[in-house]
Amino acid sequence: MTATTTRLRRGRSERRSVALTILAVLVAAVFALPALWLLLGSVRPSSEIFGSLSPLSWRILVPSSVSLDNYVTLLTGSFGRALGVSFLVCALTVAVGVIVCALAAYALAVLQFRGRGAVFAFVVISFMVPFEAIAIPLSQLFTSWGLTNTIMGLVLPGIGNGLAIFNLRQHFLAVPTSYREAATIDGASEPRVLWSVYWPLGGSALANSALLIFLGQWTAYLWPLLVVSESRLQVAPVALSRTFGEHTFDYGQNFAGAVVLSVVPAVMMFILQRSFGGLSLATGEK
Amino acid sequence: MSVQHEAPRTGVRTSPGVGSPPPRRLSRRHKELAWAVIFLAPAIIAILTLRIAPSIGAVISSLHRGFPGGVLEPVFSGFRNYADLLANEAFRDTVVRTVVFNVIINPLQVAIALMVAVLVTRKIGAPGLWRTLIFIPATVPIVGSSIVWGVALRPEGPINAIIEALGGTPQPFFTSGDQALASIMLVLSWIGIGYWMLFLISGIQSIPEEYYEAARLDRAGPIRTFFSITIPLLKRPLLFVLVADTVANFVVFVPIQMLTNGGPQNSTTMQMFNAYRTTYTYGSKNLGAAEVVILTLIMLVFVAIQFRMLREDRPTRSRR
Amino acid sequence: MRRTTRAAGTVGVIALMLTAACSSGSDGGGDGGGDGSWSLPAEDPTATIQVLGHQDAADMQLVLDAFAEAHPTITVEYEAVPFDQLNSILDARIGNQDGNPDVFWADQPRIPALASRGYTEDLSEQFADDLDAFDPAPVESSSFDGSLWALPIANSTQLLYYNKTLLDAAGAEYPSAAVEDRMTWEEVTERAQAAVDAGAQNGLLFGQVNRYYQLQPLPMSLGGSAGGTGDGNLTPDVTTDPWVEAMTWYGSLFADGLSPQGVTPEQSDAEFLTGNTAYMVQGPWLLPQLSDATFEWGVAAQPAFADGEAVTPTGSWSLAMSPFSDDKEAAGVFMRWMSVEGGGGYALNYGSPELPATPEGKTAYFERDVFDSDSGQDAVAIIDYESSNTAVPRLQTVGYVEFEEILGRAFSDVANGTDPQTALESATSELETAWAQYQ
Repeated sequence: MTATTTRLRRGRSERRSVALTILAVLVAAVFALPALWLLLGSVRPSSEIFGSLSPLSWRILVPSSVSLDNYVTLLTGSFGRALGVSFLVCALTVAVGVIVCALAAYALAVLQFRGRGAVFAFVVISFMVPFEAIAIPLSQLFTSWGLTNTIMGLVLPGIGNGLAIFNLRQHFLAVPTSYREAATIDGASEPRVLWSVYWPLGGSALANSALLIFLGQWTAYLWPLLVVSESRLQVAPVALSRTFGEHTFDYGQNFAGAVVLSVVPAVMMFILQRSFGGLSLATGEK
Repeated sequence: MSVQHEAPRTGVRTSPGVGSPPPRRLSRRHKELAWAVIFLAPAIIAILTLRIAPSIGAVISSLHRGFPGGVLEPVFSGFRNYADLLANEAFRDTVVRTVVFNVIINPLQVAIALMVAVLVTRKIGAPGLWRTLIFIPATVPIVGSSIVWGVALRPEGPINAIIEALGGTPQPFFTSGDQALASIMLVLSWIGIGYWMLFLISGIQSIPEEYYEAARLDRAGPIRTFFSITIPLLKRPLLFVLVADTVANFVVFVPIQMLTNGGPQNSTTMQMFNAYRTTYTYGSKNLGAAEVVILTLIMLVFVAIQFRMLREDRPTRSRR
Repeated sequence: MRRTTRAAGTVGVIALMLTAACSSGSDGGGDGGGDGSWSLPAEDPTATIQVLGHQDAADMQLVLDAFAEAHPTITVEYEAVPFDQLNSILDARIGNQDGNPDVFWADQPRIPALASRGYTEDLSEQFADDLDAFDPAPVESSSFDGSLWALPIANSTQLLYYNKTLLDAAGAEYPSAAVEDRMTWEEVTERAQAAVDAGAQNGLLFGQVNRYYQLQPLPMSLGGSAGGTGDGNLTPDVTTDPWVEAMTWYGSLFADGLSPQGVTPEQSDAEFLTGNTAYMVQGPWLLPQLSDATFEWGVAAQPAFADGEAVTPTGSWSLAMSPFSDDKEAAGVFMRWMSVEGGGGYALNYGSPELPATPEGKTAYFERDVFDSDSGQDAVAIIDYESSNTAVPRLQTVGYVEFEEILGRAFSDVANGTDPQTALESATSELETAWAQYQ
């Protein structure tokens, strides 16, 4: 390859990247715009949320005044406390859940044993059952086990996440078997192989699985209602539901809560992408 | 296809262990089984007690009949709930509608998610920012998303105002039996695409750069590179995303409940929405359980087909 | 948890695990009705009761404080759950049969269903002497099959609100506030059209768009039934002339652009408050919000059809007792205080005004600040009259939930342009299927 062709190619790819960046900005705008309207609704005077809709004008995206009152009221009330509970529940679930799921995924992707296909099918079926269909009988079991009004009762259903297992299994399948064979010949046991070969190579798939488990718990609504009756263990989506009553709907506060609830996983995803995005198989190879 | 997705053979430290003697091999088999049991135990126990056992409960419940809701004991009735459901024309319509809905929405969402994922993994400025913005709809509470889209797609709402400003005719969206389902798909795609994009991004990033280098040397254009390298090497994450998206779209009901409540003229009544209404609103748990069982069976067929379509060509060296 | 019935509950749960059935199986207490083995005590017992409702816990605190003062030996643990999930949670909790909750909020039209399912204690005997204290409609709504299953704690009615600025612009006179001069729907339609012609975005807004609660008076004003007839009101009766005529009128509001499509019931108050709506039918709960309105407003009685009768919606919430309560006496004391004592402790002490179900409570209710303005005084006279004279309860049937849901979809289809006759006929056939299980 001569120097000139290299330069040419680079020149072309730079030009292209400007066009693609513009395209990416446009796509991002389409996705973000409706969410922006929520954000604006949380800081603008409440009469303006619907008042600015028609006729169509720039008013719809430009509030006449901005106030953070909705956030202050929300965060100093029961919602603030509930956010803490949600954090705790999510952190515990992710910490335990990722390990449990990674262990299972490793067994399903790497280890050879009879009935592996059947166990995998079992895992796939487990996430196909709609949770709403089993929530009430399950909550009655939790009552009999004394798990109502406990953190454990909130965390447990998020632990054995079939989707996360499936996701990690797909990723582990892509890891060349030669890595493991090399490690085994060096005398490493299976936990050692998982921990020192597969886990570091898991990178973005582990991050995605963590996010998947996190979002599942972060947005849980029906289940916390069924197993928690004490306000000290109320989670954030339930606390936010006080903004909509039988006759009234406090849009400003609801939107503020929606913004808070969506910013947390979005920031988490941004950080995870930053820290694990580069740590993929491709780089692990080198 | 010039590139098979077998393990890349760069930088392997030792030769593969092919020459092990038979006795060692046998003990290794046993060892693997033991480790498999240990590794799988926590997940399987959790899934068994928290998912499968109550699901079996739901199946048994679907074979009973009782006064809707209530503390009176239901009585065993065999397959009568199923017979009643299948004899009901509205229910059959719902099943067909659910199938059509899923045949359309799942490939569509995955295809768009894939295109977006490819876009944001190219050499562009601030990719993390755009990825986050595209991902944001997946994090907005469903109640919030439903309000936004319900307002945006009102017959006198902002989207129609834009259409009119551009010289088009205003559309009825959620208020017309012909457009409501498509509008629901739009909202669900807005929510879902950014989420599934994430998994595809991580898959794309796992494709070793060498393959693209090779394609460049072959003077393959971007489209050929996409079909001959990206897609085949993305089969595993694609299978995951397709299956997971399918399951998500089969069990979704909150946006339908909030935006159309199944109307107009039942045009958006999906099976999960229907089952939720039967179970929770009407309190007919036994009948609702039967509806969910049928839903799950249909879902199983879809997922089985998807596994077949994206079957893994086993990497040559890894097995046996 | 303090539970004397815990052992029984555990047996129930084990049975549940064995049969693994969705609905809980238990041999104890399945009859659901009261056995009359308790009575309201002369002296307060010392007890803790658990209460489940959809009202916000912070808002309920004033009520609970007042109760604690009146009955210091009874401790109330109140749990607030979201309005939209109240029934799911009731299903789960009552299914546990462990006495949590002892008392719960019951939506009045659901009371026949709750009673038939064994979720509520029969209160006929214990509260027989208190019935005279209530307005008749709420008591009727809390009874089913000749028994009283709950005690009403609130009531509701509807008013016609109007935006004076928009009416001025259209050159329309303000509706009279006198109930005997109530407008006809035909007049409202005409003036709403004038307002739209003069630039108002919405002519007439039904605050509870497509909901049976608010639309039931339309066919009934024309002489139609509540929507069901026959044994247990389980025969659909929504394709009669009055129903079709009423729905034809309703559909025309949307077709003619007088009413907006896509504004949900939760959004209608906000829509009216933006000042773009000439007339709106809504409950008294809009009054407090109107104090911040940027336009002049007024109230009038809900209209009736020209050759029809005046009929208004009514009904709200009652308190029901779980048959599995292990403190029925204390629970009974609490329920009586909430609904009857001094006109109803709940309505008297709750932060935002709720229309009480007793005449005595109404007197105190009308003293509240929201009624201070002239329009507020107009509202007082209308609410007082309608709740005692023109109020008609919703259809009383065990199949109410299905009825409300199916009719709601039919109304929504009519609003979206479906032919009323077709929509009501298909609702009838859906209802027949849904109600077959109760026959």
